[in-house]
Amino acid sequence: MRLSRSARRRLGAAAALTLTACLTVACSSSDPGSGSADAASGPYTIWDPYPQFDDGSAWVKLLNTCGAEAGVTVKRTGYDTTDLTNKALLAAQQDNSPDVLIVDNPVVSTLAEAGALTTTEETKLDTAGIEPNLLAAGQLGGKTYGVPIGANTLALYYNKAVLTKAGVDPAGLKDWAALTAALAKVKQSGGKGITFSAIGTEEGSFQFLPWFWGSGAQLTRLDSPEAVSALTLWTDWLKQGYAPNSVLNNTQTTSWQEFATGDYAFGENGTWQLANAKKTGFDYGIIAIPSRAGGTAPAPTGGEFVTAPVRSDKARYAVSQRLITCLTSADNALTTDTTLSYVAATAAVQRKQVAATPELAVWVEAVKAAKGRTSDDLGTRYPKISQPLWTAFQAALSGSQSPPDALKAAQTTAAAATR
Amino acid sequence: MAHDTTIRTGAAATVPVRAGTAPARRARRTRQVAAWAFLAPVVAYLLAFYAYPLYRNLDLSLRHYTVRSFVQGDAPFSGADNYRTVFGDPSFGPALLHTVVFTGVSLVFQFALGLALAVFFAQSFRLSATLRALFLVPWLLPLIVSASTWSWMLNSDSGIVNAALGVVGVDPVNWLTSPQWSLVSVIIANIWIGVPFNLVVLYSGLQAIPGEIYEAAALDGSTGWSTFWRVTFPLLRPVSAITLLLGLVYTLKVFDIIWIMTRGGPTDSSTTLATWSYRLSFGSLLPEFGPGAAVGNLLIVMALVCGLVYIRIQHRQAT
Amino acid sequence: MSRRLKTAAGLGLTAIMLFPVYWMINVSFTRDTDMRASPPHVFPFDPTLEGYRAVLDQQLPYLGTSLLVGLGTVLLTVVLSAPAGYSLAKLRPRGGGALSFVLLIAQMIPGIIMAMGFYAIYLKAGVLNSTAGLILADSTIAVPFGVLIFTAFMSGIPDELTAAATVDGAGPLRTFWSVVLPVSRNAVVTVSLFAFLWAWSDFVFATTLDGGGDHQPITLGIYRYIGNNNQQWNAIMATAVIASIPATLLLILAQRYVAAGVTAGAVKD
Repeated sequence: MRLSRSARRRLGAAAALTLTACLTVACSSSDPGSGSADAASGPYTIWDPYPQFDDGSAWVKLLNTCGAEAGVTVKRTGYDTTDLTNKALLAAQQDNSPDVLIVDNPVVSTLAEAGALTTTEETKLDTAGIEPNLLAAGQLGGKTYGVPIGANTLALYYNKAVLTKAGVDPAGLKDWAALTAALAKVKQSGGKGITFSAIGTEEGSFQFLPWFWGSGAQLTRLDSPEAVSALTLWTDWLKQGYAPNSVLNNTQTTSWQEFATGDYAFGENGTWQLANAKKTGFDYGIIAIPSRAGGTAPAPTGGEFVTAPVRSDKARYAVSQRLITCLTSADNALTTDTTLSYVAATAAVQRKQVAATPELAVWVEAVKAAKGRTSDDLGTRYPKISQPLWTAFQAALSGSQSPPDALKAAQTTAAAATR
Repeated sequence: MAHDTTIRTGAAATVPVRAGTAPARRARRTRQVAAWAFLAPVVAYLLAFYAYPLYRNLDLSLRHYTVRSFVQGDAPFSGADNYRTVFGDPSFGPALLHTVVFTGVSLVFQFALGLALAVFFAQSFRLSATLRALFLVPWLLPLIVSASTWSWMLNSDSGIVNAALGVVGVDPVNWLTSPQWSLVSVIIANIWIGVPFNLVVLYSGLQAIPGEIYEAAALDGSTGWSTFWRVTFPLLRPVSAITLLLGLVYTLKVFDIIWIMTRGGPTDSSTTLATWSYRLSFGSLLPEFGPGAAVGNLLIVMALVCGLVYIRIQHRQAT
Repeated sequence: MSRRLKTAAGLGLTAIMLFPVYWMINVSFTRDTDMRASPPHVFPFDPTLEGYRAVLDQQLPYLGTSLLVGLGTVLLTVVLSAPAGYSLAKLRPRGGGALSFVLLIAQMIPGIIMAMGFYAIYLKAGVLNSTAGLILADSTIAVPFGVLIFTAFMSGIPDELTAAATVDGAGPLRTFWSVVLPVSRNAVVTVSLFAFLWAWSDFVFATTLDGGGDHQPITLGIYRYIGNNNQQWNAIMATAVIASIPATLLLILAQRYVAAGVTAGAVKD
């Protein structure tokens, strides 16, 4: 069998290759610094939801500086934000939590409920200067579980050229009727109306809440007449062709891309798009989201909290406290919030931001009127309300249910889940 | 390299079998030893890496988990409660139906297209090897990229598909945002992803059929279609069966494509058991691991049933 | 059909199949302001290289890790599953059916549950955030597949072939090594291809087990452009494009090794 002999030689070579490869891999993998840092002297781990920042970014440099000031080395990892919640829960289960964890504000109550976070009392963190409406998102049962690093919220970006062509003055858009009338004019003049994100996830609920709260509705009663009026507003926009059908599937980024084409009069989006707004190449302005009866609607607060997860080695908290204080101190918060395009969490820093960038004034006002999703002591009941809520607006917008029916079903589900 | 030595011992022990003079029973026993020696590494591997996750999935589904008890590890045993919750949920019926439709339609089209392409590429022509390799490119893309590209193309307002339909005078379709079309859309995307797998495995299967068999068939006057049905297809049966079975297993557990394209919506219209399981465990701010794992286990049971059917058929063919 | 016509048809089919890939390339060159243009731009008339600049600056190390992980997974998978496939197909072990069954079920465990299980094990073993750990985890997707595919292909090898080897005095190991394995080249290539592809595109294991590692695969690299509020789509797509190039070359090379009638050739020998 000639073939077999040559085959054997070939395979012998392959096997040798395997062995070498295994050895190399094994060698390259023995990385001493990668495991959990249990000894109090080990590096301090920080997890954040900013994977877009690499080691050369201002954010990571700030982390290193704060570490140096506290006399420790820090090891930072950036995770995708949806992934970070699971990762944090899993790490808490295995007692491998990071020393400092930066998470999206509605997640704080979930992690606190899980017993994975320390209170600010325990770690002796000072929260005195923080705006109460922002801090509320991190409070549960009278205890505070973190410090906001900054906040963002939603407002309406508008395209000046489209509005001028339609003969709409943005200054007059103080209530829903005026806004809908403006959308009608825009459509008549050949423009496209408004784009937002009504996707069936938390992101969609986030975008719906300004309208929901702006109608006077409460999260504890999803099928109130006010709530129905808010959902009817959205569905009518879709029916009239003032808003595109794609909103059902839009993330906030997709919705932004639609606004950025320059065809749309309005786009509901967040503070974080400011830098991109400058790149669109057309003139834009920002107005607060109007409420039904007139005035600014409360929008939900976005943005992250800096927290100190529970660790078995309590001796580490002292350093964690110094790290968090450093990260949220006035000067550093200013830098971080500027990089992230957020509004600061303390009035003093907000004033500095407006002084440096006057156009932030609209956003500072919006943040002052804003409200945490888990506030009003909703805590972990919020996720159980938010999911039926997004199911409801998806049903109404896709035409499978009328707004009152959709919301009635949502209220039934939410009531059962939060009982 | 511990297993290497076991294999070798097994081999040495079997040498005397060859003359056929040794007692038959002993021969059979040594043969069994050799067989299990070859299997030993995989068995050890399975025990080491699958036993714990499988146990965990079962355990998750039998306890009442809150985020708190997940972290603290003290969830009370709740028996079949999670399963009762799942069966009683209004999402259950639609999710089950969508799973069956999604899996069935995907499988049929993936296999038929894959086989047709495999037969086509089995003929030798210029570039055939290169083009065949290019068919695998979709598999190189991270799912977040390929699924996002699909939702890009199927976008109601700015998608290329609706633009193309507009050119030929067809009204735009709300592919992802209408309850009538969302399941169709995710099935189309899933077929696209599954075709390369079927093509490659079936193609390799075709190549393993000895050329003499075709020569013999040609001598018998068999051509084209009849050769395919009388010769190729029967010889391809073991590979076809495993391709379908694996395809079934992989399609049952598909969730990322659907999740990225429609989030299972609008209003559950494209929710399958796999996306539902994912949504329960990870889709909202407050994970419900128990019911999530219960739905996952139902999927395992479905695969189990199909596996039994497969083994039965295989058994009948062997005897 | 003439050969040239077949090539044309093949090109046409490939073009249809790869249209979404073209669309991805198109988006990778598109400016933010044109991404949702309606009607969409079929060709990036006003292209930007912004996405590619970001990628070439930042992504190359990730690519290396992905290649290493992919090839490592291939080796581990073939070494483990080929002997098992041979045994199940040709040596008829008692309980073999049950084992195939377990292998089938093993593949149904959701990846995220596997990952959660591994996390606990890896943490205790201290292999979290290591390339070797990731290879091991990724191989769990491919090994059951490998065993089942090897079994299916090897059961198609004529019994005369193995019987002849036995008559020549070969034990099962030699039969496997010098008869069965050489004629199973197609199966080896097929299993290797998919083992590579799975490892290459895995995200769940990568993020759970290697999220904090110094060497991360390309699927994690992409998340650099998926910020908590905003996604940089041209860079995401550009990463996918760049990442596909070396891997595509590898696929084309591998496909050339799928040979026709290997079994037939061996019988003649």
